[in-house]
Amino acid sequence: MKKLISMLLALILITGLLTGCGGTNTGPVENGKAEPSTELNIYMWQQYISDDLIAKFEEENNAKVNLSYMSDNADAITKLTAGGGQEYDLIMTCDAYMESLIDGGYIEKINFENIPNASNINESYWTAKEYCVPYLMNYIYVVYNKDTCPIEINGYNDLIDPALKGQIATIDGARNLFPIALIALGYDPNSTNESEIAEAYEWLVKYNENVVAYGNAEQNLTNGTASVAFTYDGNASWAMSELGDKNNLVIADFESDPVQLGFDLYVVPKGAKHVDLAEKFLNYITDPQVMAANLVEYPYSCPNDAAVEAASDAYKNDPARDFDYKENVFFQKDVGEAITIYNDYYQKLKVGE
Amino acid sequence: MKKNKFKQNTLPALAMAGPVSLWMILFVTLPMLYIIYISFMSRGIFGDVVYEFSLDSYKTLLDSTYFKVIVKSMKAAFITTLLCILIGYPFAYYIAKQPKEVASKLIMLVMIPFWTNSLMRLNSWLLLFQTSGPVNNFLQNAGFIDSPISFVYTDGLVMIGMITNMLPFAVLPMYSSIEKLSKSLLEASADLGASRSTTFFNITLPLTFPGIFSSIILVFIPSLGIYTVTDMLGGGKVLYIGNIIKNQFGAIRNWPLGAALSVLLIVITGLLIFIYTRFAKIEDMEVV
Repeated sequence: MKKLISMLLALILITGLLTGCGGTNTGPVENGKAEPSTELNIYMWQQYISDDLIAKFEEENNAKVNLSYMSDNADAITKLTAGGGQEYDLIMTCDAYMESLIDGGYIEKINFENIPNASNINESYWTAKEYCVPYLMNYIYVVYNKDTCPIEINGYNDLIDPALKGQIATIDGARNLFPIALIALGYDPNSTNESEIAEAYEWLVKYNENVVAYGNAEQNLTNGTASVAFTYDGNASWAMSELGDKNNLVIADFESDPVQLGFDLYVVPKGAKHVDLAEKFLNYITDPQVMAANLVEYPYSCPNDAAVEAASDAYKNDPARDFDYKENVFFQKDVGEAITIYNDYYQKLKVGE
Repeated sequence: MKKNKFKQNTLPALAMAGPVSLWMILFVTLPMLYIIYISFMSRGIFGDVVYEFSLDSYKTLLDSTYFKVIVKSMKAAFITTLLCILIGYPFAYYIAKQPKEVASKLIMLVMIPFWTNSLMRLNSWLLLFQTSGPVNNFLQNAGFIDSPISFVYTDGLVMIGMITNMLPFAVLPMYSSIEKLSKSLLEASADLGASRSTTFFNITLPLTFPGIFSSIILVFIPSLGIYTVTDMLGGGKVLYIGNIIKNQFGAIRNWPLGAALSVLLIVITGLLIFIYTRFAKIEDMEVV
């Protein structure tokens, strides 16, 4: 008898284990006066928001903020499209994916009545305005060491100069690399034409010859492994301040080629459980003073004009943002089915045929 | 009577093997079946998995790109294994010949790097060998070289990383195999007039072969699938099959293709273990 009981108990334990993963709904009551949420789940890049500001938000709203981190933009898209979106209240993604996320019905419209601070954000590049709140933005440009780089760089075509063999530290990703090749060849950076993409692949094969490493551009610049970097302005800023007085990095003076501008933005996934707190958070982070404080720690380009105005002098005078072609930009757009063509060529490029 | 038998035989067996079996079914068998399942599905436009039967992923595997990566990974895993055995065997032999307390300390030395996170170890290789790192500075100051050598992000550094990561897996099984070797056999060999090298090649080596074979399996299989070492020390320029699988599940988001590649890796691994069980008797499979 004792054994029977213990067996039963074990069975209960196991079923408990299996069902334990099921959803526990701690969300607000559906109708009537809803209780304010006390928990906010955010999925975003690591090292991208000030811990102090999060702590302050938690204190002000008597809530707990759970940050989870992605390692790739694709992770966020997988979370949103593979049905894991409801676990989060805010997910960070970038402008390039907005169209397909809206078309697929994966994200909620945002009620901007509850986010008055959003008016601080510069509207000129704010696409899909009803569905997202831009956080920070990135220029992807070329920066080089004026002492060790053997040539002067004025456009993307200079990057395939054989003189730069094994000298470039570059960001990775098909949709970051192919556009510069397409521009260098005089095509649309978001081309969906296979023969153009194939030509861009040939261009990138030459580029790849000059690449010393994908990723870690800022470290490879400061430790001398690379003399040129194709990277985000935020990373260049880090490298320049790391070198301090010895800074010999200059931003390439591009004559006509446009540079990529990308936005990291917050979206509310369909079925998010703590929308009220998510809105409070969005209003908090768009507050000029809060964002200005955030920029001290994370000196990236920011679409929040009032925050830039309120930012420190060090931020305003950052040499990494001192270039005169900020208006000459292009955006990553959804390329639809053509993404498979890009991926095939990208894989071929990385394997090295 | 029947009930009693159940109590006597089945229940203890269930109690002992049950939890492990359940664990294995839940966390090994089911995910593996799922991997096989999605490898036959197709990729959706958002990079999601569309549950429609398709052999596309396996057709893509026939593409020369992937074939090349597989050959390259096999080659790298082979060289890693070979070097690990060549470095590891004399080391294991040396440890086994030491008095017990010295031997345990030496084994400890093999284990210590394992207490450090492998990413930290890999990063320290990068720091040591980078252009302005200590190795280059030393060589320059000592006058061996005029300008820094670019060690980082090369196949050579990846190989060093692989070997240092895998060496303990090679040393431990060989050590236990050599240590178990009966001294009387060696003494008998010496008494009968065999030279040391004759004894080694005719007695020691054949009798410790199961240990060597375990080491080969333990080093070769993880080396084949490894991707962190190539990612970090190869700077994303050196790609093995593990990196391709990671990319398919990550940045490129073609899960069916990633799954098909994983299945291929599982098949290769399975084949190796099959050969192993044929070659060495299963009871010799010693994993320390």
